[in-house]
Amino acid sequence: MSLKDIVERPGMKYLLFAGKGGLGKTTLSATTASYLASRGKKVIVFSTDPQASLTDVFECDLFGKGEVKLSENLYALEIDADSVVSDYQASVRKKIMDMYGEVPEEIEDYIKSASAQPAMSESATFDSMIELIMAGNYDYYIFDMMPHGHAIRFLSMASLLDVWINKVVDIRKDSQEVDERVKRISGKQLEDKEEKGILEELQDIKSRLGFMANIIGGRDLTALFYVVIPEQMAIMDTEVAIKEFRKFGIELSGIIVNQVYPEGLLSDPDVPEFLKSRVRMQQRNMETIRQKFGNLIAAKVPMMDKEPKGLEMLEKTAGIVYR
Amino acid sequence: MDKKNEGKRGLDSIKSAIKDFVYGMAAHDMVTYSLRTRMHMENLFMLIIMGDMLGIPVLPPYYSLRLLPHVVPHVKTWKRTLLRDRDVTDRMFGG
Repeated sequence: MSLKDIVERPGMKYLLFAGKGGLGKTTLSATTASYLASRGKKVIVFSTDPQASLTDVFECDLFGKGEVKLSENLYALEIDADSVVSDYQASVRKKIMDMYGEVPEEIEDYIKSASAQPAMSESATFDSMIELIMAGNYDYYIFDMMPHGHAIRFLSMASLLDVWINKVVDIRKDSQEVDERVKRISGKQLEDKEEKGILEELQDIKSRLGFMANIIGGRDLTALFYVVIPEQMAIMDTEVAIKEFRKFGIELSGIIVNQVYPEGLLSDPDVPEFLKSRVRMQQRNMETIRQKFGNLIAAKVPMMDKEPKGLEMLEKTAGIVYR
Repeated sequence: MDKKNEGKRGLDSIKSAIKDFVYGMAAHDMVTYSLRTRMHMENLFMLIIMGDMLGIPVLPPYYSLRLLPHVVPHVKTWKRTLLRDRDVTDRMFGG
């Protein structure tokens, strides 16, 4: 199935672009967003990469600015994970202040140390992704994922945490049963004012993660594309990624082969031998890609003569990728 | 009238003594056991959600922080329970 067919399949809503760093995920995400917006769909492109480059691709400062309108129907969001984390810290502190009138010193220390952990910004980004989707303001959500290993961990987060939350909820329910037993036998009512709050928070986290796990794992509303270039290392990385994603029950919808040199270069006498040698290398690797991934190849995107940056250039690129 | 009241009070205290006696004979152990189980469950729960406070990271801290406001009053007791020294009698009697 071609990239265009998958993207425009009725019901399609979430498009994820993953792959090794520097192979064109951001450009392809932005190109797809530009194409869909030109077709009258309200689209947002969101970067989950801490080293996001949507700002560079769209030539517009997006970092930490929230949902920015770039043109008719086209929006972009590049979150500043650090500021999301500090806002989150502040909201936790405020809640504790409202509940108890002060934030004990050891709790304050814990809030600070927890926020300094690297997993924190990953989780904050993931939560922002859930928030954005749950708000439901767009026809299409395009996610420019972080590089391979991180993306796998990131996308499997929902299913792993979902299992974990189920266990915690079970422990909490068992505790409630014990409380009931004590009450029945002795008539003593154990304090349960926090109990309700904890269970409500757990249920909310569970429903958000479950919602996200369905989106990531399902293939009716969601497509996951892996970007590769015709080079050995990228091909090997893609093979590993397919296996890793599969471990978490996530299947790729398609592979996009990016930065492919035009074959015509080989017959042009003015093209230097160095470049011809690279074209031949790519052709051999294209054969390997066809053998290894066959039906998964959704698009072959040519190497552009200049970097696709800015709305006008992205529209032109969209014309080539989605012709 | 006072005599009647006194008689009633005496009867009530006998009833209460019998109730306490029966409770002590039949249910006290069960309640103590249940409360102990409940305490272990609470400690386990706290360890899972706040483990990194003691250097045991279990839950991603983002979600720990969401639950934190609800467990603030328990943190001190929980840390004391988990970190206190355990001697032979503790092990024998499961303290």
